[in-house]
Order: sequence, then structure tokens, then C-alpha cells
Amino acid sequence: MNPFRKIAGGFSAMARVFGNELRTIIHDPGVLLFFVALPLVYPIIYTLIYNEELVREIPVAVVDNSMTAESRQLVRMASASPTIEIYAQCPNMADAKRLMAERKVFGIMEIPANYSKEIGNGRSAHVTFYSEMSRLLRYRDFVSALADLQIEMTGEIAKQRIENAGMESFLSAEASLPVRSQSNFLGDTQQGFASFVIPGILILILQQSMLLGIAMLAGTSRERRRRNGGIDPLGVVAPPLATVWGRTLCYTTVYAAFTLYDLHIVPLMFNLPHFGSATEYLPFILPMLLATAFLGQSLAPFMRERESPFILIVATSVVFLFISGLTWPRYAMMPLWRALGDIIPATWGIEGFVRINNNAATIADNTRPYLWLWGLTVLYMCTAIAAQMLIERRENRKRTQCAGSSQVD
Amino acid sequence: MASLGFIDGVRREIARMGSRPAYLIGMIIIPLAVTLFFVSLLSEGLAQRLPTAVVDYDHSPMSRQVTRTIEASQLMDVRYHAESYDKAMEKVRSGEVFGFFVIPANFESDALGGRTPTLEYFSNMTYFVPGTLVTKGFKTVAVTTSGGVVRNTLVSLGVDPERIGGMLQPVVFDINPLANPWMNYSIYLTPSYTMATYALMIMLMTVLSVCGEIKDGTSRQWLATAKGRISVALLSKLLPHTIVYWAVGLFITWVFFGWQHFPMNGSLGWMIAATFLLAVASQAFALFVCSALPNPRMAFSVCSLFGVLSYSFTGFAMPVDNMYGAIAAFSWTAPVRYWFLVFSGNALNGYPMYYWRLYMAGLLVFPMLCWVLARRLKKAMLNPVYIP
Repeated sequence: MNPFRKIAGGFSAMARVFGNELRTIIHDPGVLLFFVALPLVYPIIYTLIYNEELVREIPVAVVDNSMTAESRQLVRMASASPTIEIYAQCPNMADAKRLMAERKVFGIMEIPANYSKEIGNGRSAHVTFYSEMSRLLRYRDFVSALADLQIEMTGEIAKQRIENAGMESFLSAEASLPVRSQSNFLGDTQQGFASFVIPGILILILQQSMLLGIAMLAGTSRERRRRNGGIDPLGVVAPPLATVWGRTLCYTTVYAAFTLYDLHIVPLMFNLPHFGSATEYLPFILPMLLATAFLGQSLAPFMRERESPFILIVATSVVFLFISGLTWPRYAMMPLWRALGDIIPATWGIEGFVRINNNAATIADNTRPYLWLWGLTVLYMCTAIAAQMLIERRENRKRTQCAGSSQVD
Repeated sequence: MASLGFIDGVRREIARMGSRPAYLIGMIIIPLAVTLFFVSLLSEGLAQRLPTAVVDYDHSPMSRQVTRTIEASQLMDVRYHAESYDKAMEKVRSGEVFGFFVIPANFESDALGGRTPTLEYFSNMTYFVPGTLVTKGFKTVAVTTSGGVVRNTLVSLGVDPERIGGMLQPVVFDINPLANPWMNYSIYLTPSYTMATYALMIMLMTVLSVCGEIKDGTSRQWLATAKGRISVALLSKLLPHTIVYWAVGLFITWVFFGWQHFPMNGSLGWMIAATFLLAVASQAFALFVCSALPNPRMAFSVCSLFGVLSYSFTGFAMPVDNMYGAIAAFSWTAPVRYWFLVFSGNALNGYPMYYWRLYMAGLLVFPMLCWVLARRLKKAMLNPVYIP
């Protein structure tokens, strides 16, 4: 056969698979839920959950054992902090602890009886702060608010003391300490929770919704074949390579619009960090979509039923989110989990996308994740072809069985 | 009991569970795998030796001292001595470092000459835990440096070294993280995320077994086994599942408190009871959804959507009090939230039961309410229609 004809035949088979797959998707409300509703609605729900961004005005109880002008000054300065809200002044620790047990306060500030005496004597006064620990974010915010408060107090009191010691010349006019420090936050400048977690979740939603949809298509096709003696009446006969590519291009095309929506419009809508250029992150994410489409088809043989993806795939979302290293650095993970993360497209997708989106990096800065994504595309293309061949072999076996049994009848 | 068809129903359900691998995978393998995943992922508890960079524009003995202080910190690993801000920024963009520290030119002479130089540090908050830890490490170095300069100067001016501490730090906050003094990250994440997965899988498997009957068209036969009584039919179907979930839940509880030694400052018995109630409440939640929407696809979709969102309602860092009111209200419909509140009140903080009794009671409300729509489910079971 003329090799050109063969190639042309392959392409026309691919086009037939593409058209047929698109028809199947449009007529399947279950798949549409995954392919359309999930990427459209989920980012909005998630952003709304986390959109309050910062933990502000956490209620705190004060136990002031000193009851002096100095201690009241401290409480006033603490209540001026945006993080801390003085919920109550308690006469003793037992009362404060009861408020904490009732979840009315999440921190207790205990000022010692000798507080003003220590300050007056030029020694360090120790104030004890108890933080409730059921949420990490509150503790983190308490620590940074108290650090700021300490610096503020130091500025006020230390300056006075050094002056009292007759060493004003040592201090410059505007500063209390000889070295200032300036903390800068990159990427998520407000240290908000949504700004940090949503860009990663967006990528994960793209991957997981596509996997779920492809798995549901596979499970449904399997059910049809089971009912029809090994033949899928809605299928198209095509060589495995053409089938796999035809489907992949179909899924990627369907996702083109949602990718733009999730990666561009959602961050704009909610004012999330969005510094990267579309000409960087869209080409970057293409291999992730391709790899995900192939990965979904590689999982097809495990989908025995239409509902299988709910059991097998939904719970993986949270695992993939953690394995991607968004919250916990990947280098601190066990080699097994690092290796598993390596073969999940979203791991590299998240790594590259958050850097491009939050830190204004380029693809050139992210060659490693980018090459990994193309590598995974090739790997999963091979496994998808193998899976397709396996399914076809099963079909043939079933068909001959059916044919055999009908002859006996 | 036998006359009611209860025993036959249980037998029938056990046979159904054994007939498909989905039950083994969804009820036992996935919850256990996720438990082991979280336990081993965060086994280190706290990340250390985070890669960072230092930009030293000064190159003086004092700036080298600052660099050495950063290098000596347990939190940080100085991977690069970048020559400029831009070079360090490139390292951040390519993800090689989580932050960098900048020592300005003329740092030493300015510091000693009273011209107040500024030490700047940059941390990449795109990565939550590493970013926070790097900020903390850099802040400590900056404060230490500043204190060191003052101390040296004051000593050279003849101030008694013992008085300097009080002079520079008039107020010191001793922060006590109650119940988790090691700041172990795993204690936050592992219980909440594991139990949210446990609850999610219970909901999905309940939908599979209840709506699966409608899909397979066997729901009439199921009801006939229970002599037409919906209550017997549901109890005989769900009880074998409950026992499996309890066994899995007991194992997970052992992993938390027996193997991982998570804080147990309260009563272990009540923690196990809460886990058992969580299993039943999750079954009840799914049953309610199946009754409202007796269609496998819809019931599965609602339970997965809800189950995945409940991760946000329970665990991790964002407190529900800081979410929008309408969303915070939803969190009270997630059974796993009550479990988490019992966990933090009882196991973590060791409060008396008085303070978390309502959360225990909350878990009991689910199995009581799920019967409201049972008639609707019965109707659907009598005329099973499978909408793909």
C-alpha cells in the first residue's frame, strides 16, 4: 500500500474518531457534568470558600495580673493589631481557659504581676501567650502579630532607656535600632489563603475533571459492549493510534475554552495573583492537557462501569493536591511519594503554572516541569495505545465467544 | 428478626459485596491507602533545610557574619551566593530557592556609623509552608544581627552586658502552642484529611450499593427480601457495611493514637465512639441524598461534590469563622466537621465532655433525619428507572 495513502487513511480515521467522540460527549449529561460544569463552577465555589483570605480579629482573652498603666498600654497596643481582637479581660486563667474551651477565644495573653516592675527596672518582662492549636493559620498569625507588637514595644521602650542611659548619640533620629529589616513577600504578597491555594487547585480541577469524564466515557462504553456481545454500537472502527489521538485531540479541544477561563478569567474575577503572560502559561499547560487525556485513556481498562470513576478517581484529588508539593515541599517527601508525584501531570502543571502565574516566571525558567510534561505525554500515549489494544482484544474474544455460542444454538 | 427478612437481607447484601471488587477497593483499600499516605507523607512533621540564597553586596566581616548565621540555621540551607537581586530572583522563579536575604552595600559601615542600613529578605509565599518557614528563619537572623550590633556597641560604650538584654528587649512574648508544642504539621493534616476521605468513601459506597440496585433493576427483589418494609431493607443492607466501616475506623484510630502518637489528652473511648458515629452519619447523609435523587449519577455527583468540599470545611488551615456566612453555614451539614470538633476538643485539647457534647449529638442527628424521605426511595425502588 502507498505509504501516503496509509497516512491519509490514518488521519481520516482520526477525524472520524474525533467527530464521533464529540457527539458522544454532547449527548451524555453525566460526562458533560464533568467536562463542563466542573471546570466552570468548581473554581468559583473554591474561591468563595477561601476568598476571605486573611484571618483577622481573632478573639483573645487577656489575664492582666499587673493592672498597671504599663500593662494597659500593652493591651491597647495589642488590640490595635489587625489580627487580635480583645474579646474579654478575665480575672484569672481558669476563666480564660473556660472561654477557650467554649471556642469563644483562641488565644490567651497572660501579663505577669511584676510586668511594670520589670520594665521599670530595665529588665525584660515576660508575657505569656497561649495559642489554641486546632488550626495552623491562627497560630501563624498570632506569631507574626506578636512579633510586630514586640518590635513596636521595643522601639518605644528601648529608645527611652538608651536615652536615659545617656547614649542618645548612638541612635539615629528616626530609628530605635541600628539595623532595620524589611520583609518582602513574593507571589502571594498579601499572604492570603485563596491567592496561595487557588492557582494550584485550578490546575488540579482541569486534570481531575478530564480524568473523571474520560473514565466515565470508558465505563459507559464498556457497559454498552457488555450488553451488545462485545461491540460498542456507538464506537468507530479505527487503528489504535488513530483512535487514541482522535480522542485526545477531541478532549483537548473541548478543554481549550475552559483552560482559558480557569487560568485567565477566574484569577481576574477574584483579583488573585495573576502576573504571568498568557503566551507563557497556555503553551505550558498544553502538554499537561495532552498527557492527562492519554492518562485517562490508559486507565480505561479499569473502568468496568459508568459509575466506576466516582469510586476510583474522586478520592485521588486530595492525594494529588498534596503530592504536587503546593503545601509541603516535595524534596521533604518520601522517595515513593516523590516518584508518584513525578508521573502525575498536575504535579508539574501546578509547579510550572504557579511560578508563571504568581512569580511571573517564563517557560524558559521552567524547562524541567515543561520537559517532564512532554515526557509524560509520550509515556501515556504509549500506555493509552496499549490499553486500547487490550480493550480491542477483549472485544474480539467476546465477539468470537458470542458467535460460537450462537452457532451452537 | 428472621421473619422480617432481616437475616435474608443481610445475607443477600454480603453476597452482593463479595461479587464485585469495587466494594473491597472503595470500602477498605482506598481509606487505608489514604491514611497511610498522609501518615508517611508528613512523617517528618516539619520541613527543614529549605533551599535559600544570600545576596551580599557588602562583603565585609559583618556581612559574612550574617551569612554564617543564616547558614547555621537549622531551617535554612544556603544553596546559592547570588551576585545580585536579579540573579536571586531567577532562582526563585525557577523554584530552586524559596527565598533570599539581601545585605546592602556599605552595610557594616552604615551599621556602625548609625546610618541605619536595611536588611531585606524575600520569601516566596506561593508555597505556603516553605514560604512561612523561610520568613520566620530570616526574621530571626535579622533580629539577631540587629541585636548583635547594638550589644557590641553598647558594650564598647561601657554598659554592663547583663543589662543589655533588658534594654533591647523590654517585652518578650513566650508563645505556647497548646497541645502541639512540637508544631507538628501532621497533627493538623492527617486526622482531618484522613477522616474526610473516610467519610467521602462511605458516602460514595452507600450510593453505589443503594442506587446500584436501581441501576441493576434488582431493587424490587431487594424490597421483596425485606418483605416490603423499607426500614428492614435499608437496615439489612447498610448494617454489613457499617461493620466494615467500623473495623476500618478502628484501625485508623489506632494509626493516629497508637502508632503515630497523636496527642490524646481526653478520652480514647469517646474518640472511637465519634468515629463510629461518623461512619453511620455519613451513611445516613448518602441515604438522604439517594432518597432525594434516586438516580445513581445525580446521587454520586452530589455526594462527591459535597465530600470533596468537606475537606475545606474541616481540615487544613482556614478556620470556618473566617469564611463567608453562607458558606460557613454549609459546613454544619458535613458530618466530618463534627468529628473534627470532637477531635480538637477531646483528643487535642483534652476539654471535658461538656464542651463538645453538642458535636457528638450533632453526629446523631444525621441517622435520625435520613428517614424523612424513605418513602420516596421506596417508590423509586418499586419502579426502578435507570437514567444514565
